[in-house]
Amino acid sequence: MEILNAIVVFLNFVFIPAAAYGAQLALGALGVTLIYGILRFSNFAHGDTMAFGTAITILLTWGLQTIGISLGPLPTALLALPFAIALCAVALLATDRAVYRFYRRKKSDPIILVMASVGVMFVMNGVTRLLIGVDEIRFDDGARFVIDVRSFREWSGLSEGLALRSTQVITLVVAVLVVWALFWFLNKTRSGKAMRAYSDNEDLALLSGIDPERVVRLTWIIAAGLATIAGTMYGLDKAFKPFNYFQLLLPIFAAAIVGGLGSPVGAIAGGFIVAFSEVAVTYPWKRVAEYLGFDTGSAMLQLLSTEYKFAVSFVILIIVLLFRPTGLFRGKSV
Amino acid sequence: MSDSDPFGGRGHRDASIVNMKGRGQIDGTRRSGPVGEGRAGDPFLIGENMTGGYGKGPDILHDCTIAVEQGEIAVIVGPNGAGKSTAMKALFGMLNLREGSVRLNGRDITELNPQDRVKAGMGFVPQVNNIFPSMTVEENLEMGAYIRDDDIRQTMEQVYELFPAVADKRKQAAGELSGGQRQQVAVSRALMTKPSLLMLDEPTAGVSPIVMDELFDRIIAIARGGLPVLMVEQNAKQAMNIADKAYVLVQGANAHTGTGKELMENEEVRRTFLGG
Repeated sequence: MEILNAIVVFLNFVFIPAAAYGAQLALGALGVTLIYGILRFSNFAHGDTMAFGTAITILLTWGLQTIGISLGPLPTALLALPFAIALCAVALLATDRAVYRFYRRKKSDPIILVMASVGVMFVMNGVTRLLIGVDEIRFDDGARFVIDVRSFREWSGLSEGLALRSTQVITLVVAVLVVWALFWFLNKTRSGKAMRAYSDNEDLALLSGIDPERVVRLTWIIAAGLATIAGTMYGLDKAFKPFNYFQLLLPIFAAAIVGGLGSPVGAIAGGFIVAFSEVAVTYPWKRVAEYLGFDTGSAMLQLLSTEYKFAVSFVILIIVLLFRPTGLFRGKSV
Repeated sequence: MSDSDPFGGRGHRDASIVNMKGRGQIDGTRRSGPVGEGRAGDPFLIGENMTGGYGKGPDILHDCTIAVEQGEIAVIVGPNGAGKSTAMKALFGMLNLREGSVRLNGRDITELNPQDRVKAGMGFVPQVNNIFPSMTVEENLEMGAYIRDDDIRQTMEQVYELFPAVADKRKQAAGELSGGQRQQVAVSRALMTKPSLLMLDEPTAGVSPIVMDELFDRIIAIARGGLPVLMVEQNAKQAMNIADKAYVLVQGANAHTGTGKELMENEEVRRTFLGG
């Protein structure tokens, strides 16, 4: 019984939240890793692209709610999501036209594109705030729980409760679908293979008749999709606040680098590694330990207070860059 | 590169923010000009009186002429820095010709960019970076046939027949293969476009002598199948042995031209270039 209680506490406070957060990071890291692999620079604007895409989703969700459309138990945001992705893709394509294409034509060094993306980050940051404000916004509607604490307690007879929020389930389901679709696209379709070919060897891709500008456009569209979905999932699960999305850039880059920049599988693994470490390090393990029969006294068994959670990403980043700079799945960076 | 180098190149070394692998050199934005008429009595491919260099740099080729007849193997040989690869790149549209013209199969293609020359029937195998390393052998071949809309399976079977070693590794990533096998994949990829002419830039660079002989065998087989081959080679003796026509370049200009046999017997070529 005590062991079961320990497991339930672990699932409720560590495993489920970390799995959902990991899926969100993985989706974000996939976008970063895709742009790194194909467009050859680290896109620092990705966090703010997520914020921008989510802001559009929220505005569309409000619009749908006003005209009385909802998805019943599911959040209305899911209905708004495809339209938001389309609008976000348009924004990214416009940015590419206005900023990145100039440097690409000049064959500028990738480091210059990195710096340009920092500029784009600030602009997008401002645009998002002008669009929707700086406050925290919650936009999840529909059923809140798949399993709630009280009914779980009554059903199981345990003293600890387990909550499984619908947004957590949705995040995981959507993440699995998106990852499956992305891998299918990259490995099975002609356009996806063309993107991989361009990532491997630009000149040979050009000489094989692959249109580089089309590959670039496809990459931005996919990146917009991944960013908007990741941002919306994060917003549904927690809350939308532009500044938090800007800060998400760090764990997302940590995830992409841990997995190996340029490796999609790595990005997913990295997302979960960073999320689980972050949650595990900042969670007070006292209750789990007590159920397992350890007397912890007054110690909370919390390694780091939650305010310092970003330190976890930093430490993971440093360790990986020191000991395995190619990442776990051997990306393009050596 | 083209910028005024504000960071002294330091940013290139941080692979955690920039991806320098597989970056392109060719300007893919250059548009093709019109295709002109060829001249009567032209060989299948001829680059005539080519003079030019890279970008705005100095001329590397000086009044250089290279031609390939239908069904023949032509080789370009010469000492280091003679402009062998440059001559081939000039034929392929990768440098600015200030004078001269390139004519293929009865058409003047001087104004075409490299992409469009591939569509016009040129199959080009670069010296290095000539495969997609993270993609499987089969995917490499598929990418070679990217411009084709018809059924590619037959061509693929033909290529696999020509290179059985490649066929055995079709599901393996091309970057994991040995040097010789990679070259075979590179040639196979170029053959997938069904070119009317195959251009090889030092196909045997950095492979062992046994593998080199095998590659030459395959190249002869390709030429005997009716596909004209133009090849730049470091290993002059072996190359001249199989060549129907050989061009010896010195400092970007034609020094000697003739059949492989003639040049092998030419006293001056032997003394200055083949080493006795």
